[in-house]
Amino acid sequence: MDYIRDYSLVFIFFVLPIIFVIQPLFLKKINDFENQMDLSSLKRKKRLLYRQIKELEMEFDIGNINQKDLETSRKELKVEVSEVITKINANKI
Amino acid sequence: MTPIAGAVALNLAFGFSILSIICLFIFTLNEDKRLFLTGQRLSLGISFFVFLSTFILWYQLIISNFDIDYVARYTSIETPFIYKISALWAGQSGSLLFWLFILSIFATITVLQNQSKHHGLMPWVIISLSIIQLFFLILTNFVTNPFMPTDADFVVANGNGLNPLLQNVTMAIHPPTLYLGYVGFSVPFAFAISALMNRDTSTLWIQSIRRWTLVAWLFLSSGIILGGWWAYQELGWGGYWAWDPVENASFMPWLTATAFLHSIIIQEKKDMLRIWNMALIILTFTLCIFGTFLTRSGVMSSVHSFTASSLGPIFLIFVFLILIISFSLMYLRKSELRSEKRMESFTSRESGFLFNNLVFVVMCFAVFWGTLFPVISETVRGTKITVGPPFFNQINVPIGLILLALTGVGPLLAWRNTSKQSLIKNFTFPILSGLIAAIIFLFIGFRGSVVISFSLSVFVLATISTEFKRGISARTKKFNESIFKALFAMVSKNRSRYGGYIVHVGIVFMFVGFTGHAFDKEKEFSLTKGQSDHVAGYEFTLLKLSETERPNHYAWISDIRVTDNKGEYVTNLYPEKRIYFHKNPDVNRRQPHSELDIYSTLNKDIYSIFSAVDNENGVVFIKIMVNPLVRWVWIGGYILVIGTMIALWPRKD
Repeated sequence: MDYIRDYSLVFIFFVLPIIFVIQPLFLKKINDFENQMDLSSLKRKKRLLYRQIKELEMEFDIGNINQKDLETSRKELKVEVSEVITKINANKI
Repeated sequence: MTPIAGAVALNLAFGFSILSIICLFIFTLNEDKRLFLTGQRLSLGISFFVFLSTFILWYQLIISNFDIDYVARYTSIETPFIYKISALWAGQSGSLLFWLFILSIFATITVLQNQSKHHGLMPWVIISLSIIQLFFLILTNFVTNPFMPTDADFVVANGNGLNPLLQNVTMAIHPPTLYLGYVGFSVPFAFAISALMNRDTSTLWIQSIRRWTLVAWLFLSSGIILGGWWAYQELGWGGYWAWDPVENASFMPWLTATAFLHSIIIQEKKDMLRIWNMALIILTFTLCIFGTFLTRSGVMSSVHSFTASSLGPIFLIFVFLILIISFSLMYLRKSELRSEKRMESFTSRESGFLFNNLVFVVMCFAVFWGTLFPVISETVRGTKITVGPPFFNQINVPIGLILLALTGVGPLLAWRNTSKQSLIKNFTFPILSGLIAAIIFLFIGFRGSVVISFSLSVFVLATISTEFKRGISARTKKFNESIFKALFAMVSKNRSRYGGYIVHVGIVFMFVGFTGHAFDKEKEFSLTKGQSDHVAGYEFTLLKLSETERPNHYAWISDIRVTDNKGEYVTNLYPEKRIYFHKNPDVNRRQPHSELDIYSTLNKDIYSIFSAVDNENGVVFIKIMVNPLVRWVWIGGYILVIGTMIALWPRKD
């Protein structure tokens, strides 16, 4: 019975991983792939930009930046966010 | 599983790493997504086979299969279970496999975490990680294979056992922690290379690796502190840092990584320092590989060099390749890396961060030069010139004090420019606190760098408390919150910022501990039963000398009573003299070892070393050291870890 155990182990630890690795090569062409990835990157970017706006307001509240800098930087970030949101909506459609 | 399965798994991992690189490289040319998925899975396959071979080696160590050379060299039947586990990183081939094992964990997390993210960056990230894995797979497959059979034509009944210095719980934790730090920087490095390859030098790659860098930094810092703790507990010279080449090897990437952690904030917020950040992460990773080279090559004599080998040239070639390829890429992308924004004022937070970065890099260079100078002098002039702690202390103490001062100055500066009124408003309280502290310390009788260090510590603590106060009052005004609610909300909503300040508190505590070194006292003496001697106002009396046999050593245990100058009882110390492998018939293979005993308080440590024993006359030779403020170093370490964990804690979006 030992050889059955040995072959099973070889199959599980060596053959299965190889099948797992080469499986995508037998797929048909992948179309939706890039679209999905772009959408998740854009959503992440949107989150980061919102976070940056909040941090900017905090910097102003504790006196690390002046009113003028707050307004300029917030405006820049808001423009960037709106561009990202437009792209997200376009991607969803 | 047999050792052959381990060796085969390593072979397969080697093959997979080559295929992964080829697949993903072709994908970058033809964009066939099936190749990307195959490359991704090949990368997971490399990790799988590395895990498999590592677990097989662990199993062989646990069952004491002395047919494997590595198992016979670093364990014996008597080796306790925990040290059979830690024997994986006790020797050269095992530790290289362990490096690979950790890298494979990180590579797997990176691949799985980014399956649907950063699709532009990921192919080159995986290629870079696979190339690093390939390097270590070449070493473990063809240069120093951990599954090599024992070179003997008889059955090996027992192994050599683990070096007694490594039979310490801290030593079972310290190398993995340090390795997690070293290896962790592979991921940010891979993202940096990928950003260069993709000509994407925006802040995207920085945002992707910030958390990774912090994790690696946390492990590297913890590893360094644990290493100091181990040296203090085990080596018996009374200190925790000796500017030893291997210690320096871990300190250099820590310095550049710390600089990087600060400067990426500038790139994220202001889109500046793109070239600088690229250079810093490349240097940090290269120094991590260089550190492994210093530890493993045997080119430096060190208390940490438990192995010496001919791996040096291979590591050196890899280090040069990384530097040449990375910096050539940077040169080719110099136009994309150039930032349009400029520093607007000297008194801005950007300038403060840049200055702190420069000081970190200068310190790194000083340590690098001092570490390599003996090798360079031997190569060029044929004579080895030793560079010891006096050189490093002379150079690094002033630099360290400048860094400490900058730790306080940075947070008080505003972005872009700090007005004169703000400078006065922000700096008055911290500077006054520092000055008052300096006067008090001078009055007590302290002088020189001790006064500077203690006063700067007060200054930095004052700036940090000012920052917390400003944040809390801003919230209490804006949201009408109570102080505690405001503090909690402020920290939880700005974890990286306030976590960073807590790390700074930890660093201040560590500086207090380092400064205590100026007051160390020590004395060596011999005692017979009932005899006493005095050190630094304490009396040490030998009450008893006993002997015992334990599974892996024989020990003489002294019982020393400590009383203070008023005759009041302080503690009993039990330092031991041990002989490891005491049953070995070959006397030369028995290893003597002094096991220390330390009485530790916030104020000072009483450190006892049992140097030798004269059995016939019942005389013990003892060394006592009284080391003030050492505990502050460890407390600082805990605070540093807590601060970093706060900074790392995931936030809800």
